[in-house]
Amino acid sequence: MTACVMLRCLTSNFNSALPLLTRSAPFLTYRLAPRAYIQRSVATASRLSTALKFTDKHEWIKVDDEGVGTVGISSFAQEALGDVVYCGLPEVGTKLNQQDEFGALESVKAASELYSPLTGEVTEVNTLLADRPGLVNKSCYKDGWLMKMTIDNPAELDALMDEKAYERYIRSIED
Amino acid sequence: MILRKCLQVREQSKACLQWARAKSTFTDLIDESGQSGVILKSMSTDIYENLAMEDWIHDYVDLQNRKILFLWRNGPAVVIGRHQNPWQECNLQLMRQRGIPLARRRSGGGTVYHDLGNVNLTFFTSKKKYDRNRNLHIVTSALKRLRPNLDVRATERFDILLNGHYKISGTAAKLGRTAAYHHCTLLCSADRALLSAVLKPTCQGIKSNATPSVPSPVKNLLDEDNTLDCDTIMNAVASQYNTEFGFSSPVTLVDPSDEFSFPGIHKMSSELKTWEWTLGRTPKFSISASFDLHDNSSRQNASLNIDIKNGIIDNCEIDLPPHWLPSDVRREFCMLLVGGKFCPNEMAVILAAFLRTTSQELKTKTYNLYQNVVSLM
Repeated sequence: MTACVMLRCLTSNFNSALPLLTRSAPFLTYRLAPRAYIQRSVATASRLSTALKFTDKHEWIKVDDEGVGTVGISSFAQEALGDVVYCGLPEVGTKLNQQDEFGALESVKAASELYSPLTGEVTEVNTLLADRPGLVNKSCYKDGWLMKMTIDNPAELDALMDEKAYERYIRSIED
Repeated sequence: MILRKCLQVREQSKACLQWARAKSTFTDLIDESGQSGVILKSMSTDIYENLAMEDWIHDYVDLQNRKILFLWRNGPAVVIGRHQNPWQECNLQLMRQRGIPLARRRSGGGTVYHDLGNVNLTFFTSKKKYDRNRNLHIVTSALKRLRPNLDVRATERFDILLNGHYKISGTAAKLGRTAAYHHCTLLCSADRALLSAVLKPTCQGIKSNATPSVPSPVKNLLDEDNTLDCDTIMNAVASQYNTEFGFSSPVTLVDPSDEFSFPGIHKMSSELKTWEWTLGRTPKFSISASFDLHDNSSRQNASLNIDIKNGIIDNCEIDLPPHWLPSDVRREFCMLLVGGKFCPNEMAVILAAFLRTTSQELKTKTYNLYQNVVSLM
């Protein structure tokens, strides 16, 4: 009984710590290692919810407790793009397969296409970006999120890079 | 019987040839040639076919260890950037009158006018090797090789200026999964009067977050030196491209309507022509306008607010006193517009249906209102 209470405390602490972790991107550290174990023990939490996962196209996805994924681009990507002047985003309800083109970010550099990290349906789009496209540069992991989508195929999520793997990946392409 | 046999053989050989040609798509030919530098020139002057050719090369040719230069020209057309608002950028009414098509490209950037006096250059590379400065250097070097005293240079905005003042080239680009393309225009002998006329938007009062163009004074290279025609310039750029990268590629003609060599290209050019892409992809915008309405005896000022999303009228409010047009008629007119395309043809159909139900005395006033609304389109 006490063990259950302790586990629940741990989980609720982790959930409030998560925003702090994401704000200090890109130097995230994975502090609570046995999170997956905790998730399985606590019946109310979703099996899908994760910390940031990354694609090789420099997009991130973070899944919340309801199994909805928030998608954005990484700090590496926004720096490479330069100042974003327009965000071309999909309509709510658009169905996307993994790697489908779902929009484009226009910067001085070019119109850079965006590719869906997973298969799912668009549930929300960040309307703040219409008037403030620069949020993608200033706050790429928080206020500059691009869209939210359902996760139709959780196995795809498992195959994405975690934060450490992504950092290694960036170092390898910079060389 | 011999005739039947001959026809059979003819059909079989045709099928065989088609199969053989399908197997040798452009990608196959390029891979087999093992060339790392390829120069292509389009046989088409259709803007949609040529834009589709760019998309096809980007999507289907392996550009990781290969570079391609694509040279193309079009008949008169206005080309807007991916995230632009055509109502804000060009004179759509004049274009409709003159049969000048509107195209939306997939790269970013601003609005340009193309005709056969304008040369388009597309530089395809891997994403890693994307380098607009180097490409523009090829263009300016080619021009200076032709005419050593020519004052042409690239700016920070990736324009090319003649004599430090006149824009002769604008740039746009697209970054995809693993490949990229950078394309630019080059004014040789374009119709400058028509260029100015079509690039002057007539619709006022637009509020939009679409990417705007930066207007610039322009000049043709032919005006500076009457030996600098399109063919001379295209050959010079091709030659300089080979020099810059150490290639020895001939200029190969390609036909963007050849579905055998470029499977799927017809679908791409069809998509580029659709209303949904050219006009429907316009970012959400609103128009606030006011105008004077007339009937035989009086004048009345009216104001109009329209919201347009995906090119469709989302909301329409007209401010007009009831003594001019009864409120219910005005409201019904607005309601009919909502859900329709922001397009004169569609408006005409709606108006025709509406006028049939309007009383005789209101027909003139309603028609006057309609004309003012259509003038925005």
